[in-house]
Parts: sequence; C-alpha cells; structure tokens
Amino acid sequence: MDISYWFFLSSGLFLGWSLGANDASNIFGTAVGTKMVKFNTAAVIASVFVILGAVFGGAGATATLGKLGSVNALAGAFMVALAAALTVYWMSRIGLNVSTSQAIVGAIIGWNLYCGLPTDVTVVLKIVSTWVLCPLLAAAVAVIIYTLLSKSMKTWRIHLLKRDFYLRIGLIVMGALCAYALGANNIGNIMGVFVDSSPFKSVNVAGILQLSGVQVLFLLGGIAISVGIVTYSHKVMLTVGNGLLKMTPLAALTVVVAQTAVLFLFSSQALQNFLLAHGLPALPLVPVSSTQAVIGAILGIGMLKGGRGINWSITGKIMLGWVVTPLMAMLICFVCLFFLENVFNQVVYVPQI
Amino acid sequence: MFDMKISLFSNTKELEQKIDMLHDKIIEVAMVFKKAVNVYLKEKRSPEYRKLSKEIKTIEHDADVLRRDIENRLYSQNLIPDLRGNVLELVENLDKVINEFDEVAHQFYIEQPVIPEKYFERFKELVAQVCECAENLAMASRAFFRDFSVVRDYSKKVYMLEHESDKTTASLKEAVFDSDLELAHKLQLEAFLSEVADIADLAENCVDQLLIYVIKRDI
Repeated sequence: MDISYWFFLSSGLFLGWSLGANDASNIFGTAVGTKMVKFNTAAVIASVFVILGAVFGGAGATATLGKLGSVNALAGAFMVALAAALTVYWMSRIGLNVSTSQAIVGAIIGWNLYCGLPTDVTVVLKIVSTWVLCPLLAAAVAVIIYTLLSKSMKTWRIHLLKRDFYLRIGLIVMGALCAYALGANNIGNIMGVFVDSSPFKSVNVAGILQLSGVQVLFLLGGIAISVGIVTYSHKVMLTVGNGLLKMTPLAALTVVVAQTAVLFLFSSQALQNFLLAHGLPALPLVPVSSTQAVIGAILGIGMLKGGRGINWSITGKIMLGWVVTPLMAMLICFVCLFFLENVFNQVVYVPQI
Repeated sequence: MFDMKISLFSNTKELEQKIDMLHDKIIEVAMVFKKAVNVYLKEKRSPEYRKLSKEIKTIEHDADVLRRDIENRLYSQNLIPDLRGNVLELVENLDKVINEFDEVAHQFYIEQPVIPEKYFERFKELVAQVCECAENLAMASRAFFRDFSVVRDYSKKVYMLEHESDKTTASLKEAVFDSDLELAHKLQLEAFLSEVADIADLAENCVDQLLIYVIKRDI
C-alpha cells in the first residue's frame, strides 16, 4: 500500500476526529448537560451509530465525494481537510460548537482563492443565511414543541419518575438516530475524496457481512469520528448542554427533536416534492445546519422562559465562532497550500482543460 | 436493549410505589396517632396504648427504611437529575414529620402526663387538626410527583390547619396557666402541647419548601 496515500488520508481521519469531537454535542450535548445520559453512555451510543451510519448509510450515496470532491488534487484535498480539521479542533479546544461543513466550505474557498478559481457567491450567502435563518427557525420550532410537550405532560399527569424514564429513552433513541444521520451525511465530506485512490479491497466479516472497499474506507472514517467523540467531545457537550442555559430534561429532548424537525422540514427536497405532488403547500427550502439549529432551539426555549437564564456571553462567543470558523479555515488553507506547493512540491490543483 | 428497557421501567415503577408508600405511611401514622391519643386520654398507659405506640414505632421504622431505599435508588440509578435534590429534601422532611409523631407518642408513654378532663375536648381538637395537617401534607407531596396544579390547593389547607392548631394550642396553654395546677404540671402540659403543635409546624415547613420546588419547576 502506497505510504503517501496513508499520509494524505491522515488529514481526512483528523477531520473525522474533529467532527466527532465537535458535532457529537449537537446530538448528546443537552442529554449529557442535563445529566440525563452519562457521558460514557452517550459516547458509546454515538460512536456505534456513527460507524453504522458511515458504513451502511454513507456508502453508495450519490454524493459520496462530498464537498471536497470539487478539489481535484489529492494534496489539495489533504490541505483543505487539514485546514478544516485544525479549525474545528481549535474551536472544540475552547469549547465552542461550530459547523464542520462550514469549516470545509471555508477551506475550499481558501483553495479556490489560492488556485485563482472563482468562488460561487451563493455558497457564501448560503453560509451567512444559515447563521441567521437556521437559529430563528429552530427557535420557533423549539418553542412550539416545548409548549406542546409541557402542556401534554401537565394534562396526562405523568409521574415524575415515569416522565424521567420516557425522556431518557427519548434522548437515547433520538441521539442514536441523529448519530446514524451524522455518520451517513458527513462521511462523504471526510472520506469521499479518497475513494478513487482507495487501496482497500472488499472484506468478509465472519462470513455474515460483506463490506466493499469503499465501506472499509468509510469504516475507517467512522472509527475516526468515534474516537473524536470518545476522546474530545465532553467539553463542547457541556457548553451546549449547560453553558448557554440551565436546561430541564424536557428542554433537552425538545432541542434534539427541534433540531431534527428543522433539518427534515426545511432541507428535505424529497419532502417538498411529496407535498407539492399531493397539492399541499410546501415549506421553503433554506440552508440549515445542525449546529446552528441546536443553538437556536436552546435560545428559543430560553426566550420562552423569559430570557433571564440565557448566558449571553457564551452565546456571543458561539456566534462569533460561527463567523470565525470558515474565515479561519480559509486562511489556514490558503497559507498552507502555498507551503505545500512551493516547499514540498506537491500538486494542489489540476488545471481543467 | 429490550430487556434493559424493561428492567429500567420496572425499577422506575418500583421506586414510584415506594414513594407512594412513604406518603401512605404519613396518613397511616396520623390515623394511629389520633387513635392512640384518644386511648391515652381514656385509659392512660394501657396495654391498648402500648400496642398503638408500638404500631407508630413500626410505621416510623418502615418509613426510615423506605426513605433510605428511595434516596439510594435516586442516586444509584441517576434518576430525575434536575429534581433529585428537591425530592431528597422532600423525602427527608416527610420522614421528620413521621418521626415527630413517634416522638410525641413515645413521650406520652414515658412521661404519662396527667391531662385534666376539662381539657380533653380541646386536646382532641388539637390532635385532629395536627393529624389532618399531616394528611394534607401527604396529599400535597403526592401531587408534586403527578400534578403540580393541585399542590397549591393542599398546601393552602396545610397552612389553614396549622394556623388553627396554633390558635388551639395558644388557648389551651392560656387555660392551663390560668388554672390551679402545680407549676411543674403546667410546664409539663405546656411542653406536651408544644410538641404536638410542632407536628403541624413541621408540615408547614415542608409545604413551604414544596411550593418553592413547584415555582422553580414552573420557571
């Protein structure tokens, strides 16, 4: 196996690790912050389902190459992934919840600038609108869900202990599903670019399971995400779960449900097609991100309770982090590409004829 | 996974029953205490009183076991993390009320105070108020676990009954000190009256905290 492949792959694995360290907070942050689910339990569940999602949900998808697919040289993809990974790692280090996708897009813009390629302005607008629209939508959805859930709890007169049990099960099930989606949706971004040159062959696991070469590669990426979750996600989870707002378990579940609802309702082309086909009014499709949705949902619940409990200083830091993330990834990528090309003589861009 | 869910659910159900049983113990101890005082007024430290006093002791012991078990399970199973502190405090306060019933009943047994017949009716009235107060505390506390909206109703009753018991205690104390009894006898009766009234005071304190927990939950 070519050693250079492993070298380039390492940045993808590092990006996977960073994604696990940061994005797991969107899934289990509120559950761990409210102490409804222990960190160890959350880490194990998230890790297992992320791997399952990456291997069985990510492989075979049409867009396996992900966003990095536009970067047409392996060394360039290496640097884009590394720049995004370093940015997300830095944000995780200071406990801020940021969007890995936006870090990747920021790094790709850095690559575009370095290679003198034009950058689609709509991509930039999409990122900026996500910072504003997505939290607002998530806040509104969270307020509706929270009000409905708390009214139902009062009407059904569920015993505190039973309510605790149902909420815990809800948090675990939602967490597992979201972890599966995280693995399935992001593995393309992490490993997609390495698919074409993948040296992995299909393997048979204990005679029951056949994994293709791509699936083996995605398994590796899934493991990298899992390692990120287990080793480095606790700090960001606590920021999301407890730093912004002192949350109740009901609020914790609301945040996860609201996040999923926003991602499904406002970004699903399939849902829009279905509604239109049946003559129903379709919801507008807007750029959404689970990171912004989670923070928006938490703030929505905080505002519903009068807004006094919200820690505005941490909120400000997180929002600043959103803006800084793509810019920082872009800058790191741009500067490092220069060194990669001129000092290490690597081809970072293949000119299209 | 399914087995784990079933076992978690049965654990929750079991703990729910134990909390209900602790509330039952308060109602039970109040009823037995009322009966015991009536027996004492009629027969003093008779075998019947001895039996009832023992029954109160057993209830108090069972309540202690329940309290410890509830506290252990709440912590070991990491249940209701947001309200665990409040529930622990509540359970301990409920247990204090039961302990006070036991203490007063035991004091009657040990000291055998002589209560003049002319005070019987008002004494019985005080005991009835105090017991009703404890019963309403049990209902308020039970409601805390299921239906917050009625906690306030039962709490209101506790406040009213505590106020009534204060008035009955004050009038009885006044009558005792206006009487021709020996000073030592007066002081002993006064101490007993205070002990009985303390049960209602403890119930009131418990309800005060309960209402704060409810307000905290509503924010």
